[in-house]
Amino acid sequence: MLVALFVVAGIVSPIFYRPQNIFNVLQQASALGVVSVGQTLVILSGGIDLSIASIMATSCVFAAALMAGKNSMVIPITLFCLAIGALAGFLNGIITTRRNAPPFIVTLGTALIFQGIRFVYTKGAPFGSIPSWLRFLGRGGIGFVPASVIIFLFLALVMEAILQRSAYGRKIYAVGDNKVAALYSGINVPNIILSVYALSGIFAAFGGLVLAGYLGFGDNWAGKGYELDAIAAVVVGGTSLAGGEGGMGGTVVGVLLITILSNIVLLAGLPYQFQQIVKGLVVAAAVIFYSFVKVSGERR
Amino acid sequence: MKRVLVVLCVGLLFWIVLAGVALAQGWVKFLDSDKMLVDTSMYAKTPPWKIGFSNASISNSWRVFFARHVEYEASKHPEIAEFYVTDAQDNPTKQLADVEDLLAKGIDLLIISPATEAALNPAVEKAMEKGVPVVVVDRKVTTDAYVTFVESSNYQMGKIMAEWLAEKLGGKGNIVMLSGIAGAGPAEDRLKGAMDALKNYPGIKVLEQQYCEWSPVLGKQVMATLIQKYPQIDGVWADSALQGSGAIEALQEAGKPIPPVTGEDMNRYLKMWKEMGFEGVAVSFPTWQGQVAVQKAIDILNGIAVPRYVDCPRVIITKENLDKFVRMDLPDEFFMDSRLPEEWLPKR
Repeated sequence: MLVALFVVAGIVSPIFYRPQNIFNVLQQASALGVVSVGQTLVILSGGIDLSIASIMATSCVFAAALMAGKNSMVIPITLFCLAIGALAGFLNGIITTRRNAPPFIVTLGTALIFQGIRFVYTKGAPFGSIPSWLRFLGRGGIGFVPASVIIFLFLALVMEAILQRSAYGRKIYAVGDNKVAALYSGINVPNIILSVYALSGIFAAFGGLVLAGYLGFGDNWAGKGYELDAIAAVVVGGTSLAGGEGGMGGTVVGVLLITILSNIVLLAGLPYQFQQIVKGLVVAAAVIFYSFVKVSGERR
Repeated sequence: MKRVLVVLCVGLLFWIVLAGVALAQGWVKFLDSDKMLVDTSMYAKTPPWKIGFSNASISNSWRVFFARHVEYEASKHPEIAEFYVTDAQDNPTKQLADVEDLLAKGIDLLIISPATEAALNPAVEKAMEKGVPVVVVDRKVTTDAYVTFVESSNYQMGKIMAEWLAEKLGGKGNIVMLSGIAGAGPAEDRLKGAMDALKNYPGIKVLEQQYCEWSPVLGKQVMATLIQKYPQIDGVWADSALQGSGAIEALQEAGKPIPPVTGEDMNRYLKMWKEMGFEGVAVSFPTWQGQVAVQKAIDILNGIAVPRYVDCPRVIITKENLDKFVRMDLPDEFFMDSRLPEEWLPKR
């Protein structure tokens, strides 16, 4: 599918192949990619995480305020932001598992809580600035490969290895496939779910840092819309919303697909709003496509 | 079965989004330039007064500065015994309830910055029926039931920016236009002003106009793509410094000389302008219209006639007076055409 899109992209506009354009596309895909890795884990376990965008913005605002342009603060504050992300994810996980609440609502609640926190903290006007090291993460590159995309692909690769090769990874699939069966086979289901939400929170916070680097200042709404884009990327990548099926490879393709489509819409001279339509159509098409694959697979 | 449900849900979601976009396109507002004075003798009251301020939200830093101006001005008047502030969090339904609450508290005057235009009509109509005068500020309502409307013309703002850009380019060149949110009143008014101005400059070619949702991230992403698409971009018209600052980043990273870019009085843009030294202009959308609204409110309660419509004059920042406005020590999202004393600026 990705190869076909590359060909179509070139037909729509030869500009697409320019190294600088490819660089832009990869750079724009990175923040979405990082948070989609977390979202994949959550969806594989049968959940969903709508708090991603809020965590990203919170992390971005805190990074600007606390790093205040100083490179020496990059590492400690990065850890601090990741801890905030983990805390948000932990909150999602604990309510979802202990109270057996629908993750859709729980994570929405967490999103609002963290939105409130950053508004209380910044009083609505974010301050501080992003130091050059973090800026490199968001906009720097090695040759024609953006630094951020290397990190995204590395994270996806590591998580894929964990998913496929480790007992922990297999447990995530088992929980997503059938919670009751997983419970009876001795898997600590609540802990697995808690861990995927915590990981998703950490990835979201890191995605927020990548975006902070890309943007160059703390914006209260950085990452707006990324929660749904991430879900779209994961679904387009073939991970089942019902859980237990899919993987990181598909998500990487999904992220690239969605970013490339946005790029083509602009190159073709269509209004930006068409991106939403195209995105929606792609998600719908993907879901229909996978449902056919599944049905024919079951009949055999 | 589950699969079918998923397909249905995704499909439904998709159509809801489409419907939302279609609705948003319908909200196009235009300006009335009614300069007449309103007799307010029937609203005159001896102090102490109770005034209610129903704010749409403080969800971005412009709105924070705006609300601060309202509160700052209110704090200067001892005649105001009670000053109630509500925040509708961009939700018109909540704002309707907010206004009910304020009326129940027995306010003598209502200042309202509506979340959306038409939705708040019943609220202001009810207030006026009860004899509570209404000052509408920043965004309008579509009913006539108010005493005065205080704003700063978005149409003029967009027009001045476009005229500056066209003049800077000597009436000839290729430009791209980056707007806010499709269908949002301020974005459409600014765009209309700019388009009207550009009619007088046939040599200016608009390569493309895109909406960037007042997002710096989108501004940068869209601009990065447009730079690839058009080898020659002579100027950028951005209706706000939010996407404008993103666009400047994209231009800088593309390694090209930065062409003239329009912006507003947001410190982020002013700082970039000062540091990079490109050709810029900042037309403010004054945050102090909130202060003017309170001044008009006081006039009304004193029985002094007020204009039906108040256009707060925007400040135009150019190379010559940039240093008077830019503050390298203050945060990026501060609005510099401010009339707040230092101690009223948002603090951490």
